[in-house]
Amino acid sequence: MIGFYHVYKQYVKESYAIYDINLSIEKGEFYFLTGASGAGKTTLLKLIYKEELPTKGQILIDSVNINLIPRKKLYKLRRKIGIVFQDFKLLYNRTVYENIAIPLVVRGYRKSYIDKMVKNSLSLVGLNHRKNYITSHISGGEQQRVAIARAIAGNPIIIIADEPTGNLDTELSIEILKIFEKINNNGITVLIATHDNNLIRMFSKKTIELKQGKLISSPTKEKQQWIY
Amino acid sequence: MDLLKKSLSNAINNILRNKLINFLCLGIISFTLLTLGIFNYISYNLEIFTHNFSKNIEAIFYFKNDVKEKEIKAQISKIRKSLLVDEVIYKSRDEAETSFLSQFPELKYILTEFDKSPFPSSIEIKFKQEESNLTTKIISFIEDIEGSDIIESKQVNIDWAKKVLYIKKFISITGIFLSGILFFVSVFIIYNVIKLNIIYRKEEINILQLVGATDWYIKFPFIIEGALMGLLGGIIAGILLIILIKLIPSYSDFIINILKDIISLKKIPLKILIRLLFFGTIIGLISSLFSLKKFFKK
Repeated sequence: MIGFYHVYKQYVKESYAIYDINLSIEKGEFYFLTGASGAGKTTLLKLIYKEELPTKGQILIDSVNINLIPRKKLYKLRRKIGIVFQDFKLLYNRTVYENIAIPLVVRGYRKSYIDKMVKNSLSLVGLNHRKNYITSHISGGEQQRVAIARAIAGNPIIIIADEPTGNLDTELSIEILKIFEKINNNGITVLIATHDNNLIRMFSKKTIELKQGKLISSPTKEKQQWIY
Repeated sequence: MDLLKKSLSNAINNILRNKLINFLCLGIISFTLLTLGIFNYISYNLEIFTHNFSKNIEAIFYFKNDVKEKEIKAQISKIRKSLLVDEVIYKSRDEAETSFLSQFPELKYILTEFDKSPFPSSIEIKFKQEESNLTTKIISFIEDIEGSDIIESKQVNIDWAKKVLYIKKFISITGIFLSGILFFVSVFIIYNVIKLNIIYRKEEINILQLVGATDWYIKFPFIIEGALMGLLGGIIAGILLIILIKLIPSYSDFIINILKDIISLKKIPLKILIRLLFFGTIIGLISSLFSLKKFFKK
């Protein structure tokens, strides 16, 4: 599903944000991406949705080498990936419905189809009752659920989340992770970056660990080493 | 269609959201287009004046004394072929003498000293009054005939028209020059206004890019916004021009009275108003495309 082959990312000279990462993320699995602050988690996620370009190395997503995707065709990659951010990145002056509908509207779908998909997404995150609320009028936990609903609305094959529980208390964090688990149960690959070890222990999923840009542990690390 | 509707509503919202900056921008576009419109209008009036003047243009060409009749006939038939010419009247030397005598019988004694008629044979040309740009063509046609070897001299009442044509040319060039400068100023200003709007909506654009919107989906509202701003500028300039033309006679009676006999101010033709709208939209489009190109390059 996702393959990293000797990937390096350098923002400044002689310092690597990502250093020689070889990684394989299997289809339909649930992964935690962990490591201390500055370990390179966000950079690794940004490389997946091509917000950043690798300095060196290749990244394959759904059998496509994303280095070869031109800027104009980038939207095709982004439509395969649902992204959830720690700061939610919502349009706060619009309604919950409008926010969730964005990925569908930009694809030019019909209103009836958009209604159906938004309804499904809202049901999954348990926010049907907030559909017509202005996003700035709902709580932080609900806003994060709107962000998740928006990420799944476009029917992605991968969901990546960057510290989705970073701004939430433990109870809400568990709730949010349960939603991700539900999404994963529908066959969608989930990759969540977090530094909350308690949550990782609680959910016992596959873990990819980074330290200073290097891969410390990964369920597929040995396999990758065998390939190279 | 949906995208167009949405983009249009987004553009209107954006214009209303940043009222001060957008109205300032609209003012500058309108001023640019008004300048263009004023010069266009003056040029149009001078064109009409020279056209009307051309209705009265008559040219008389006098042949050299030693010219053979065959050559004269050839010249006349060449002139008759021109689409500009309405009528050619040939006057032989004898006919010229007769005409002189009928006009000035008291001067008959002068002619008694000549064996042959002392008057040169001539042709009088009258021009058609159909084409709009006739004067320029007539001037060049007359200059052509004058260049012929058999012509001794000419008598044409065209100097006035020539001068007006020079003035018209000067006004057109000044208008193009001034409008050119103002065009760049307008493009620069709209460019920056669109840039500000893009920065203002950077977060939204970023979200749209992350959820898989195509570049065109994101760019379209800004393009519409630029075009709309230009179009509005054109409409305002058109209205101002109409008002200005209506106000001139009431406030500058003196000047108008002097000019009245020479130039009578016409109603603004539709083509000038359409031109203003067209240029406004083009200015808006170019500016927004530049702005977007720079932003999307990053």
